[in-house]
Amino acid sequence: MDNLTNNIKRIMIIFLIVFFVLISYLAYFTLVKGPEIVTRPDNRRMWDIRNKVVRGTIYDRTGKELSVSEKKSSSGEYKRVYKGGAVTAHALGYYDPQYGITGLENLYDSYLSSNISASLMAWIGNGFKEVNKKGDDVYSTLDYQLQKTAYDALGSSNGSVVVLKVDTGEILAMVSKPAYDPNNLNKNWETLVKSKNVPLLNRSVSGLYPPGSTFKVVTAVSALENIKGIKNETFNDKGKLNLGGGYTLSNDHGEVLGKINLEKALVKSSNVFFGNLGIRLENDLYKTAQDFRFNKDIPSDGIIIDKSRFPKYKSYEKGNMAQSGIGQAEVLATPMQMALVAQTIANNGVMMKPTLVNKITDYNGSIIHTLKSSEVGQITSAEYASEIRKYMRDVVSKGTGTRAQVSGIQVCGKTGTAQHIESKTPHSWFIGFAPYKNPQIAIAVIVEEGGYGGVAAAKISQKVMSKHFYK
Amino acid sequence: MTKKLRIFQLLIYVFLFFGFLNLGVLKKPFDPKAGIFFGIMIVIIALTTWILKRFYPMGDRIIFLLAILLCSIGIIMLYRLNIDLATKQLVWLLLGILAFLFVVLFLKRGLAKFARLKYLFLAGTIMFMSMATFIGYEILGAKNWVKIGPVSFQPSEFGKIFLILYLASALSNVDTRKKLMEPGIVISISLGFMVIQRDLGTALIIFAVSVTMVYLATSKKLYVLISLGLFAAGGAASYAMFDHIKRRIMIWHNPWPYVYNESYQLVQSMYAIATGGLFGRGLGMGHPGYVAVNESDFIFSVICEEMGLLMGFAILILHFLLFYRSIRSAIHAENNFSKLLTAGLSVMIATQTLVIVGGVTGFIPLTGITLPFVSSGGTSLLISFLSLSIIQKVSEGED
Repeated sequence: MDNLTNNIKRIMIIFLIVFFVLISYLAYFTLVKGPEIVTRPDNRRMWDIRNKVVRGTIYDRTGKELSVSEKKSSSGEYKRVYKGGAVTAHALGYYDPQYGITGLENLYDSYLSSNISASLMAWIGNGFKEVNKKGDDVYSTLDYQLQKTAYDALGSSNGSVVVLKVDTGEILAMVSKPAYDPNNLNKNWETLVKSKNVPLLNRSVSGLYPPGSTFKVVTAVSALENIKGIKNETFNDKGKLNLGGGYTLSNDHGEVLGKINLEKALVKSSNVFFGNLGIRLENDLYKTAQDFRFNKDIPSDGIIIDKSRFPKYKSYEKGNMAQSGIGQAEVLATPMQMALVAQTIANNGVMMKPTLVNKITDYNGSIIHTLKSSEVGQITSAEYASEIRKYMRDVVSKGTGTRAQVSGIQVCGKTGTAQHIESKTPHSWFIGFAPYKNPQIAIAVIVEEGGYGGVAAAKISQKVMSKHFYK
Repeated sequence: MTKKLRIFQLLIYVFLFFGFLNLGVLKKPFDPKAGIFFGIMIVIIALTTWILKRFYPMGDRIIFLLAILLCSIGIIMLYRLNIDLATKQLVWLLLGILAFLFVVLFLKRGLAKFARLKYLFLAGTIMFMSMATFIGYEILGAKNWVKIGPVSFQPSEFGKIFLILYLASALSNVDTRKKLMEPGIVISISLGFMVIQRDLGTALIIFAVSVTMVYLATSKKLYVLISLGLFAAGGAASYAMFDHIKRRIMIWHNPWPYVYNESYQLVQSMYAIATGGLFGRGLGMGHPGYVAVNESDFIFSVICEEMGLLMGFAILILHFLLFYRSIRSAIHAENNFSKLLTAGLSVMIATQTLVIVGGVTGFIPLTGITLPFVSSGGTSLLISFLSLSIIQKVSEGED
């Protein structure tokens, strides 16, 4: 009998522990895991909460409506209408009760669906009248005309164009192709999801490409920073760099450039010269790439940028080091990353945080939030940036990038022809900025399988820049 | 003690007042029916506590108050979900309390004499456990309901009580291993019927209660280990044999890939709890319509959505306190039969709470059972109050 009583006490303690564990789990579930679960797109509760307000409008920087909620006459329900259609699809994302929310619609959802007009203060302020429940409006940094130009310039090619304002990091244009019409998701969804070209992917921030020769800008910065007197050093480009083991690295068209210095090597895009630099710089190049935020998250507003990659090679992997010096091997970059490289050089070595939102206004039209530009950091010295700027000016005026010229504007840039495993036709790259003195905009263009960088991508840059400077 | 009890009772009234006030205001114009509900609840509580105090001052009067507070939370939520359902629940609550008072008032002291009715309990156990297998019909994938005339009920609910009565009687004087054979077989048969009826929740509870009672009676941890081993083996075998068990485990392991199919119920329940957060969205402000069986198996989730995590904690703590007070009666009981019976019933109620709350939050695989005193359901409420009446009786002391 005493045994029985003691056993009962033991059972009581065991149950006490089990209850305690369950209570702790419930607290963990609701408070830690909860917020993440609540925002899942298939949680209809959030849609019901959102449906209580008329979702705010997204404008471009000039006040043009890009994404608005319009009342369907038949049901009286609101539907999200994208005025720009496929042109702004990736930048804005989509908002669809069936397919969820992505892009800017998702990242600024709390504003767009905010219900401040239902707050006590707003209620009192409005003289106790029922006011329209309307979410905040978001003014994006996009320039719709520029966006449209870039979209059209890409034509039927796959690829991406990113245009940044040099001094602030504002995203003026961000195009990804193939695109899709966010107004007709229901009709096209199956095709969109199954397509081999992944049209739903925002290539500007999530497409990882070998940057090819555009990466030479980073290699050149690293050389200036790490090799004393590199500016005045000359090197004999015999058209081939022996990597050992029977492997060689040659220039794009097999040309022999002879005695060249860093400037000429960049202007003529010498693989031999930069391959050699890659080997000489060893892990200093890895460090410089990291300074440019390869392998790192890039702070941003309104977008999420995937990490670009620059691998660390062992000192005996000479071949890979040479390849990484010219943006090949396992180097991968997003178009946004390369646009930021151009922006940093243009902005005296200071990288600006890329942003897609300028300001937010409430249901009343009064500004509730203005986004200020902020620096990511001083990536390289103003002196080195200015040196590279000079080289990049020559690339466009007399080097590989002459097709990017815009009459009356001194354009600077760097071309890239990136080999990749999917096909023999390389990707065509161009990064650049303009004007040479006092740069305003920076650009990155990639045309998938667009061939030689100096042609396809440079031409697109030319169209976009012309549009910007001659509206 | 009496003063503290009175304060506790007063707090229950205050809770009911604000609860039904809120429910009345939710409807425009004001819904007077909420006032009637409030009045009836107050009368029930006042009368029952008065009877308990007047005739049985030695009994534990906290037990009833804890249970009725849980019932109040349930009735308020049910009223918000569906007034007809709440009305039915109120009627069943009345019947439950009448049964409770009947046992407390008319059962003669000295439960020990019932230990002799072992074979009657055994017959009851087998009859109720097997009933649904032969004449039952299916609800929500489990074939565990029986309809006799106009009355539908879950025979396994009664089966549980008979099994506990039987085990208390069979185990109250085990001295040899041989005497364990018969209870072992009865437990296995009961479990078997539950698996056939796909009533996994009840199977889990029968298992937990049986193992606990065998341990209490024999003090042998080895038996617990053997049972757990057999359970694991049985579980593995059922996993291989039955698709519905496989599905439950799959959903529990990772519900997210099957949001629109197999795990729909669980995921909606998780959304409800997560959306409620610490303080809840407010009574009437949530979306209980998205949660399946929201009046019964998933009532905990909809309560958490509208009244918050804090109310969820309150329910679990009230259940633990109820368990503690019940176990306390078991400790003070004077014979083995009463001790085992009371402990068995307490463990049954507590396990049921743990299994369903653990299930709807995704902590353990989900099995459909009711949350004692809170969920809608006549059989469940009646059984819970009958169990409580025995515990109450034991708490009075027997001689």
